[in-house]
Amino acid sequence: MEKQMILYVDTKRCMGCRACETVCKLENSLPAGPRFTMVAEVECGSGEDAHLSFLPIPCQHCGDAPCVKACPTGALRKRSDGIVLGNQKTCIGCHECLWACPFGVPQFGANGLMQKCTMCYNRIDEGDLPACARNCPAEAILCGTVEEISAILRSRYADGTFKPPGARP
Amino acid sequence: MESYHPIPWRKCEDLDRYAAGANVPVWLGGKKVIADRVVKTCCPHNCYDTCGELVYVKDEKVIKIEGNPEHPITRGHLCLKGFANVEKINSPDRVKYPMLRVGKRGEGKFKRITWDEAMDWMVEKITGIQKQYGSEALVEYCYSGNREHMAKAVSARLWNLMGASKLAGSFCLLSGAAGSYCSVGSQYTMDPAIWSEHCETVFLVGRNCSATNPHIFPFLYRAKERGARLIVVDPYTTGVAAKADLHLRPRPGTDGAMALGMIHWIIKQGLQDKAFLAEHTVGFAELAALAEEWTPERTEEVTTIPKAQIIQAAELLATTKSHFETGYGQQRYSNGHQAQRALACLAAVCGSFGKESGNYNFISGMGFPNLTGFAHWANVTEPEGAEIRKTRLINIAAIAAAIHEAKEPPIKGILSFRGGLISQQPHVDYTIEAVNMLDMFVTVEQFMTDDTDYADLVLPACHYLEQYGLHPSYWHPYNQILVPVCQPPYECVPDIEIFEELGRRLGYEKYFPRERTGLDYIRMLIGEECDVDAAVSPHGPVRNPEKWCPKIPYQNGFDTPSGKVELYSSMMETRGKTFPGEFNPVPEFQEPAESVYATPELAKKYPLNVISQHPAFRTHSQYYNLPWIQEIEGPARIFMSREDAAARGIQDGDLVRIFNDRGELKNIIARVGVRVKSGVIEMSSGMWVKLGGSVNKLTGVYPAGPRDILQEHGIMQEYHPLLDGNTGSYFNTLVEVQKM
Repeated sequence: MEKQMILYVDTKRCMGCRACETVCKLENSLPAGPRFTMVAEVECGSGEDAHLSFLPIPCQHCGDAPCVKACPTGALRKRSDGIVLGNQKTCIGCHECLWACPFGVPQFGANGLMQKCTMCYNRIDEGDLPACARNCPAEAILCGTVEEISAILRSRYADGTFKPPGARP
Repeated sequence: MESYHPIPWRKCEDLDRYAAGANVPVWLGGKKVIADRVVKTCCPHNCYDTCGELVYVKDEKVIKIEGNPEHPITRGHLCLKGFANVEKINSPDRVKYPMLRVGKRGEGKFKRITWDEAMDWMVEKITGIQKQYGSEALVEYCYSGNREHMAKAVSARLWNLMGASKLAGSFCLLSGAAGSYCSVGSQYTMDPAIWSEHCETVFLVGRNCSATNPHIFPFLYRAKERGARLIVVDPYTTGVAAKADLHLRPRPGTDGAMALGMIHWIIKQGLQDKAFLAEHTVGFAELAALAEEWTPERTEEVTTIPKAQIIQAAELLATTKSHFETGYGQQRYSNGHQAQRALACLAAVCGSFGKESGNYNFISGMGFPNLTGFAHWANVTEPEGAEIRKTRLINIAAIAAAIHEAKEPPIKGILSFRGGLISQQPHVDYTIEAVNMLDMFVTVEQFMTDDTDYADLVLPACHYLEQYGLHPSYWHPYNQILVPVCQPPYECVPDIEIFEELGRRLGYEKYFPRERTGLDYIRMLIGEECDVDAAVSPHGPVRNPEKWCPKIPYQNGFDTPSGKVELYSSMMETRGKTFPGEFNPVPEFQEPAESVYATPELAKKYPLNVISQHPAFRTHSQYYNLPWIQEIEGPARIFMSREDAAARGIQDGDLVRIFNDRGELKNIIARVGVRVKSGVIEMSSGMWVKLGGSVNKLTGVYPAGPRDILQEHGIMQEYHPLLDGNTGSYFNTLVEVQKM
């Protein structure tokens, strides 16, 4: 198997600006309705320790993706690099994938067919990052193989060789 | 199919000259689309970041926006509004042609007219008002919807030629800017790329960075990952507070008391930066005497911040290399000028000025280039050979009061652009009464807003991407000139061309030559200070000259009268002898205009303090009409504490009524949780009045100091923005909440 691509959110960094939501809309030419990523805001703690946590939830492109198994028409598939893609030509809009998905990712637009985050596979195929990862002002959204992402996180939090903001890994 | 008339006096330039690339492939909807050109520009929406943008245009339509990766601070990242501009500029709801009111004011009934008819109508109205009342009965209304400066100079050129009243002041940050100016003189900010590499503590006050300064985060994280600690002061649990090592939550309007409490503790422990104080400050004895009473106990009592936190923060600031980033929230109270003074004094006591490891960053003078002289304002506003009369000034922080009270002559005509008079000024009902007193109210707008409903004439405005602009950042040292990326659609006309044509028709042809473009005006403004063309697409952004944006600020001292940081401010003292107001030379804490202690009777009736922070997903009243943004933000809501909700039988998600003596809002969703402390509610500003969610139905007209402009009804003969200040004190507003 090829190296698996991961869309990872460094939740220590996400600060809830929601830029990933509109950059995704623009990149995928989406109207209001289908949302390929959505930032959840969670209130934590109480009293003087009260604070917010933020979590953008795009498709997790699961290792063993329940949606792929659940789809009765084979409209969902997992590429060899791990990206889970849907095909509107064979989708029948039955919502089985939505029932199977633990994260509520599948979206249904005006035509009733499933659409969801594609990890901007076309950009990845040309060596670029997905739109949300390229744009994230907090540099919280990362995309790459597990080794690449671990290396970034290690440099941020563990080995003291942190790169200045903006430096590409 | 509607047809659109050609506008013969419009300047149609060849915009390909600004292309940073032609026939460029760009991803859109999963496919590569070939854009005709890509243009560099920047966002002028009154935000710290002033992001560098790459705008892709096809068939004279904006199809995509990306961050400009070459911008040293914003580094190719934009906020959610940046991308929503594609939806905004292409919106089918834009005002497409001039429209004349046919119904009553407020009904929103209009008929389409041509630009010629609109110009004739304005000329007739304006000359009529001039004849009956004199030119000073006219004034423009203009603010920061597009905060670009150049068009304001061009409009001022016209109003000056006519002898109209002049709009002055601010209702956003001048109280703080004045407090700051009276402490340190000219103000400079230090590049985040510097302090983030050297500081040990970051002190961030009154700034919700997720919404208003997202590009600070990589630098904050860089500092934190180096081991620096982050202290955030905000009554609300913001996104940046979630990243803080210490989050202080003062009672709204008591940041000044908090700073005095910290100064008290630092002096008591002998931790002040004695060398800096001796060499670079005056008035330490007076400040120390003022801080004497602000023991940790008293500070806790007034601010509700636990004293252990005040002590911890004070010791961190004084004993480590600290950097100050103060926002504008803390100065949107009637005592805002002194709150900012106290913070400047705290920075001085900690010695946090002009070091690589830290500076006192509030606002760079580039934020008001007309005041500092970076923009040679008179080159545009006072055309050579014209006789410019000195006219009265109308303070924008009290414009409704001025319209109500002006006598000789009354204010009868307003031309409004780049600002939402009704939705953004405090006390909506009072503002609407004022607007209804006008004989002429013209608005230049992109959409049918609250203002357009009350306008006599609505003119189709250009999006900022369709016109020139000058907006150097007031936080970082880089500048990118705004250029039109595409031709305006429909019958939209760039703001300056409206003023130019109106000027020509009013008889000032020779002052508005047809060949002059926005870029020429920008050259007239800043051409003597920097190389303009280097900042114009395909070039830019450029770093501003060292003179205006020193790498390490305050290396040559301070340009106050004493040449030092004035803990005892001689400028406040002198100004206070000439004008009414609260010009105490030391930053004494005063309760905000409405509070439990200032107005105990009112607080019994209305016990909750509503703070209306800047909206996270909009620029004030802009963007909410876009589907992408509505989907994220949802309907109007307030945040309240569990205690306050329980006491009123309110549960999370309930609809509530919010009210005080000035007005009420109904059917607002209550979000109950930890975001605010008991006694505080939060409701973001800027929601349209006609959508039922404008917090300004509740806020009061209390322009913050130091000068008390309400005594003069906001009508002034003389005014110095950095000495007199003035800000709308939106946050000291008491209300009660009830379940619907």
